[in-house]
Amino acid sequence: MKRIGRAGFLALVGTSALAGCASIATNLTENESFHRVLELPERLNLAVLGSGQPLAREYSDSAISPVFRHNGFDPPSTPDYISWSRKAWHGYRLFVTGLVETPKSYDLDTLRRSFPRVAQTTRHDCVEGWSVIGKWTGVVLRDVLADCSPKPQAKYVVFHCMDQDPGGEAYYESLDMHQAAHPQALLAYELNDRPIPIENGAPIRLKVPTQLGYKSAKYVQRIEVVAGLGGMYGNGGYWEDQGYEWFAGI
Amino acid sequence: MKQKIYRHPIIVRLTHWVSALALFVLAMSGMQIFNAHPALYASDASNFQSPVLMISGSEDMDAPEGWVQLGNHRFITTHVLGYGPNGMGGEGVRAFPSWATIPAYQDLADGRRWHLFFAWIFVICALLYARWAFDLRPTLADLRALPAALKAHLLPWRVKPRAHLNPMQKLTYFGVVFIVAPIIILSGLALGPSVDSWAPWLPAMFGGRQFARIWHFSGMIALMLFFVIHIAMVTLTGVWNNLRSMITGWFVVVPEENSEAVPVKAPVATAVKETS
Repeated sequence: MKRIGRAGFLALVGTSALAGCASIATNLTENESFHRVLELPERLNLAVLGSGQPLAREYSDSAISPVFRHNGFDPPSTPDYISWSRKAWHGYRLFVTGLVETPKSYDLDTLRRSFPRVAQTTRHDCVEGWSVIGKWTGVVLRDVLADCSPKPQAKYVVFHCMDQDPGGEAYYESLDMHQAAHPQALLAYELNDRPIPIENGAPIRLKVPTQLGYKSAKYVQRIEVVAGLGGMYGNGGYWEDQGYEWFAGI
Repeated sequence: MKQKIYRHPIIVRLTHWVSALALFVLAMSGMQIFNAHPALYASDASNFQSPVLMISGSEDMDAPEGWVQLGNHRFITTHVLGYGPNGMGGEGVRAFPSWATIPAYQDLADGRRWHLFFAWIFVICALLYARWAFDLRPTLADLRALPAALKAHLLPWRVKPRAHLNPMQKLTYFGVVFIVAPIIILSGLALGPSVDSWAPWLPAMFGGRQFARIWHFSGMIALMLFFVIHIAMVTLTGVWNNLRSMITGWFVVVPEENSEAVPVKAPVATAVKETS
């Protein structure tokens, strides 16, 4: 019989105890009622952090990361997207629909000409844990929304994107009207003074520097103002439907 | 003659066990979160070229390998760190193995749910504990008595239970509650982009957001070390007496022989009763 010694025995007891805890916790996670309890802090976090409009720190250009790391799905592969990308985005239009007095659509030139050009060099924090700093230039989301006059019953803004997961499920995200009115919530068309590269969300990417990266939806095509999430909008975003927090401030 | 003293009030006993549970859930769900990007950087944004710590591996079918890279040194840790059990019945590239993470399999979303739930519980416990632990702030006399206490604990099974905590206990508990816990809580908060917009000084205090991850991770290592030593000492210095005092509050003590060294005020002893 192999002798494992006292240290080996303690290590075995320790790892078995941990494995037991991991197994119990894994089973609890899969219990629906327990999971609802686990979800409670999100509301608390939103209540504590969600009021006010404090600004994310802006960096000097020297802090810009050499490469703006990207994550998520492959870029859109529809014939439309590929053809727009080859023609400097001629033909692409950004639509604003839903609970607005005047639904509109903008091509990139109109968007650039109609609204003030705003730049921010901010840190992008991925839910995985890494961070990169980039300079985003574009138009302030609330300016575009104001141009279309949201109706009084408007509560959320849903961003419909052109990228899809391998199963064909489209990416989408949402903000409430308060978050959408944040002065740093940007519809960006440039990254580091150049048109946004395809892998970073060309031609238009939402940038929300006060929340985790998955809120900053890439490849935005349609902005829909709605009275509530739920129903066809699931939990308010692609990753939210996979269990991630809708309020991604922590 | 032995005496029984009421050593720990209910609030201390309760928060002790709840934070012990929270600590484990936080460490295990924290390792789950770490697995999503198993690298630490000593900077604000990630300096992907030069991680301070990285735990990864290679999936090579013939020779799978797991490693921990600390600076320029690579330690092979196959089957435990970097490459190990994946919680789905097999093995794969994974920083921490499935037996050490919550949930066992890779699931960042639920790992975060667990972590952020128990983070609040830990914060509440730390705040309640702080009131009690403040009484343990080491005095100059404690620091002077430290070498003797350290020496005595080289043979922990000979240490006699006393009404007051020894200088080593005071320093350790005070340090855990007032140094390690604040570091781990604040560096964790510094990881939240919304928190940072409210308090830009918070990540700056730790040397940037990614550096705050190093502080957060190191705080976890410190608490795990504390846990191991704590368990060893509790076991070796009279396990049943120690456990009873943290469950019912009552602790059997041997009065000091040298009356001059007896501190009259034992901060947590609120009642004394004689036993045979």
